[in-house]
Amino acid sequence: MPSSPYLPTSAAFLKESSLLLQAYPDSTLITTKYTFPSSKPSSKSSKPSTKSDSTATATTPLATLVLKTYNPVSGICLKYKTNKAAEVGRLITALGLLAGGADISLLDVAVPAAGTAGGEEDGAVVTPTTGGAAASMGAGSNTGAGVSKGKGKGKGKKGKK
Amino acid sequence: MSKPLGHEEFFASLTTLLTSTSQKTRGSVYLTQKPLLPTSTDQTSTTISPPSILIRATDGNTNAPNPKSASEDKNIKKKSKESKAKLSTVVQPDELETFYAKYAEVCKAGMTGLKKRDRKQKKAKGKGGAGKVSKA
Repeated sequence: MPSSPYLPTSAAFLKESSLLLQAYPDSTLITTKYTFPSSKPSSKSSKPSTKSDSTATATTPLATLVLKTYNPVSGICLKYKTNKAAEVGRLITALGLLAGGADISLLDVAVPAAGTAGGEEDGAVVTPTTGGAAASMGAGSNTGAGVSKGKGKGKGKKGKK
Repeated sequence: MSKPLGHEEFFASLTTLLTSTSQKTRGSVYLTQKPLLPTSTDQTSTTISPPSILIRATDGNTNAPNPKSASEDKNIKKKSKESKAKLSTVVQPDELETFYAKYAEVCKAGMTGLKKRDRKQKKAKGKGGAGKVSKA
């Protein structure tokens, strides 16, 4: 199978995931991975003591959250990756809606109610078709613009690096 | 396979798992959800009711200490055997909403290793606002 790409936005991910769940309601698995970047054991083992950890915490490794919707029957795998704490609550709530078999129309209504972000659902509602990645991406770009507008430049990777 | 926990118990354990991982800033927590299919005997009765959801949480043994460093510390070595955390719980369809509300809270509270928007937001706003004022 082709390597599964990361979807650009959470809205796109949730939309595609709900389609996959509708197609295969019984065999689709959603995984949420909360992970810290792995430190290379080889480099650590050279320094025997745990004091090497203190230097690591100085830089404060940033965790990432990866959502994955996988259907083994069709081999379809959808992924979304984020490192923003603000998205967690909204994403988990959305996963609950997906688990409950909510269809897209319900999802679009419910997601904004659960979260604080306002821009996302607008884009999703605008595309009432069973929109492909292109439509979702369009919605996503709107979202990105809206969020960054509200929150300043902190959203991009510029601030970190 | 360990038996599914009650919701409260599950959340308590999940909180511990997430916070310990966050504090170590190392390792991973895997959360999975999938419909719990009725057993083959139940399939004859095609009930319309949606299936229960099985929730699993594990650290995939990623919190296990590095075996090389563990050999030096007896305490860590002792823990390594039981270090793999596995939790599961079953959510009935009518409980989904309340469960996920709590679930989201627990995840939000526990996943402290993610980038915090609030702090950056304040800083960005402060800088931006000051800049604008000075320019004006």
